[in-house]
Amino acid sequence: MNETKRVVINPVTRISGFMEIDADIDNSIVTDARTEGLLFRGFEKMLEGRNPFDAVYFTQRICGICSTAHSVASTLALEDALGVTVSQQGRYLRDIIHGCEFLQNHIRHFYQYTAPDFIKLPESNTLFETDHNDFRLPKQKNDLIVKHYFDSLEYSRNAHEMLAILGGKAPHNHGVFIGGITTQATPEKIARLRSLLLNIRQFICDSMIPDAYAVAEYYKEYFEIGRGYGNFLTFGCFDGYERLDTLYVNPSTYSDGRIMELNPGEITENIYSSWYTSRQETYTPFETIPEPDMKKRDAYSWVKAPRYRGLPYEVGPLARMWLCGEYRNGISTMDRTLARVLEAKKVANIMLCLLDNLIPGIDVQKEYEVPQSAYGAGLIDTTRGALGHWIRIENQVISLYQIITPSAWNLSTRDRDNLPGPGEKAMIGTIIRNPDAPVELGRIIRSFDPCVSCATHVYSKGNLIKTMQVVP
Amino acid sequence: MNQTFNSCPNFTTRLETASALVHKAIDAVRQKNIPKRNLIWLELTGCSGNIISLLDGANPDFKSLASQMVNFIYDNSLMAAEGEAAMERLFGMTGGDYILAVEGAVSTKDNGLYNIIGRWKGQPVTAYETIKKFGEQASYVIAVGTCASDGGISAARPNPAECVGIQSLLDKKVIKLPGCPCHPDWFMGTLAYLMLFGEPELDSRQRPLMFYSTLIHDICPRRPYFDQGIFASKLGEKTCMFKLGCRGPVTRVDCPIRKWNDRVNWPIGDDSPCIGCAMFGFPDKMEPFISFDTT
Amino acid sequence: MNDHEIFINMINDNLNEMGDTIDCLYTTSNSCVKNKLLNRLRKNMSNIAMLTQGLRNGASMNNPQPSADRLFTAEELSRYNGKDGNPAYVAVNGIVYDVTNSAAWGGATHFGLTAGTDVTSQFASCHAGQPILSKLKVVGKMTG
Repeated sequence: MNETKRVVINPVTRISGFMEIDADIDNSIVTDARTEGLLFRGFEKMLEGRNPFDAVYFTQRICGICSTAHSVASTLALEDALGVTVSQQGRYLRDIIHGCEFLQNHIRHFYQYTAPDFIKLPESNTLFETDHNDFRLPKQKNDLIVKHYFDSLEYSRNAHEMLAILGGKAPHNHGVFIGGITTQATPEKIARLRSLLLNIRQFICDSMIPDAYAVAEYYKEYFEIGRGYGNFLTFGCFDGYERLDTLYVNPSTYSDGRIMELNPGEITENIYSSWYTSRQETYTPFETIPEPDMKKRDAYSWVKAPRYRGLPYEVGPLARMWLCGEYRNGISTMDRTLARVLEAKKVANIMLCLLDNLIPGIDVQKEYEVPQSAYGAGLIDTTRGALGHWIRIENQVISLYQIITPSAWNLSTRDRDNLPGPGEKAMIGTIIRNPDAPVELGRIIRSFDPCVSCATHVYSKGNLIKTMQVVP
Repeated sequence: MNQTFNSCPNFTTRLETASALVHKAIDAVRQKNIPKRNLIWLELTGCSGNIISLLDGANPDFKSLASQMVNFIYDNSLMAAEGEAAMERLFGMTGGDYILAVEGAVSTKDNGLYNIIGRWKGQPVTAYETIKKFGEQASYVIAVGTCASDGGISAARPNPAECVGIQSLLDKKVIKLPGCPCHPDWFMGTLAYLMLFGEPELDSRQRPLMFYSTLIHDICPRRPYFDQGIFASKLGEKTCMFKLGCRGPVTRVDCPIRKWNDRVNWPIGDDSPCIGCAMFGFPDKMEPFISFDTT
Repeated sequence: MNDHEIFINMINDNLNEMGDTIDCLYTTSNSCVKNKLLNRLRKNMSNIAMLTQGLRNGASMNNPQPSADRLFTAEELSRYNGKDGNPAYVAVNGIVYDVTNSAAWGGATHFGLTAGTDVTSQFASCHAGQPILSKLKVVGKMTG
């Protein structure tokens, strides 16, 4: 039987934000797939005209699960623009806050977002009702992971408690700012942080990592499913400390078997398939910000197409673990999930090292002045991958603010060369066991840890669009 | 760290409000004195940070809420079902009894097509349609967070997606729990109160008095510095943050006492000013958040 | 009844309300009700603080007598934006007030308004009838 079936999954649940998967299945194989970001608010336009310091707090509200990431990138961009050199203590403090966000995110991503795809949770709770029965773990192993699903709630919230100890509150912290963080470390805070961190690390090692491998054991074909391009990129993560050197990974890329140093100047965005128009279809981050246009023919998503040297690149835990050489098992759905849980352990260890190097009582804050005009870029790898904020200041207010998020890289649309984004590519070629319940698609996409609230913030200055049509 | 305050009755009773109510509600449900209500949680045009904040709840915590207090029917971030199957759970509640919690504003531009939350029977479902359909029929509607309450950051100038708070789209009265994000205690305490006693006493802005009545300025531990005119000139100092732009004097909510994330800290406690995130007018009217060189 | 007496009456109203609230507090054990009552006490205290400040200023509710002869043009007023060592002044109904240390003017801004400007219409739309201006120090008048 030779029949093309079109499958639309909307909402893709257990991600951050709103997404649709639109796939064509021929003879049980995915021949084409599109990921569509379905939320638009327009943060870049909102930021124009505002006080530059406010960007640190404002951009956090792009996303609730990774708000810290934006505060860090924003702060880096401001430090670049203001010419502020951060002390090592400032970096350690801020990077500890950042690490807390990694732990919170990865625990929640594995248990709350990923696990329900592979383990059966008690259906006495409506939230856990599913419509497929591809659950392969034997009852005892399944139920152990179910228990950990509920146990994990305490550990992920403890990661946010740690964040709040240094950052005031989570989500949407107050502590991250130019120079490092606002408050100072104290012996009590350090002791409390270490205690919470050791507990979390124990949970990661004793429960989360074994659980991930247990799932992998019964879903081995997912080591072949969802490869994508195999191009990796990172802006660097916990890297370049003066005394500690690089604790994780330097800015670099991997392509065709070669690792190379990253050149940020070769980052571009393309809007061929996105609901925007601009003078230039492809542009560099400082050049322009396009305008929304939902009438645009052949466009299908609010997500744009970031490219490096003209090609799509994947970002995230697997990219980082691959680029630093710690994980080379393979590139696939399951590899992404394993890399993420392994990265959680790595970040916990890095945080312990940073804690050990803290000197209590150091105040890194100064009175900062907004320059008349300046520009700067903040590039940092965060929970989902490479995040960039580009800021231009004129007349002491923000005149341009460009944001390229990790999910824009991973969930990118096609560009003019018709190259699908990494998430789309990962789905194409997959064998679907049951086209009436294509569970493979959601599982593949979730391995990228999508954050659509992040991917679709972008907008631009200029005329607003007048009419709209639904793009089917 | 916060052990010194345990002996103050004012302090402890404020903290206990939410957990006392939630335990009471759970007991009442267990003893079948009140029904276990259905809860629909809609994430609309926002950052979905309020569900993350809810997961951060500690005493009361999310686990007891979801397993013992209510039937959690729908939530984009947590539910196992996807696609049409997920939408079925939502649309299956049509005509039924449920309490509706909404986070995020609602994009109204171009019939709401800037925020599609799913597909039902092949057609896209906008956030706008969803709130209209499920808002009026709910037994209670709770706006969780500043975006749902008053537009918040989703509606920040120039408001490209033409977002509004949910009350402007509904005739039914909305209980507002502003905050960016909403503290898990404010939500769980209000929900428990609703289940036990019905609508709590609200102020003129539809916020529950039990959480939103006092100005931060009036219960701020740094208030003596303000009164003496001792002001911080940069972040990181231990004195009053007024000159840096603190919005504590215009913000009504109990952050100084309840604090955040299992009561470990709060913005001013972190040596940074309050940015008024729980106020209508956040963010535009609360800016600039950080001002140096104020006389 | 002159303004002084109005203020005294309002203070007494608040004190009476506080008495009632304290009576209720003795009898309630419900932590929720207790919180509500305590909040009400705080509000009363805050009102009394404001009213005594008004008494101290000795001014009437909405018609303060300018204590300074200084005249401001709009351009001169704009310099008093609370920055670069300048105090923060605002004009309401032709009177110029000093809000440098006024709690609601953190960072010399208030709900999107900046010091150094005339905020008459905004004041009228938000605070008409509220005894706010009597709390503020008068530093002059607007010309014209």
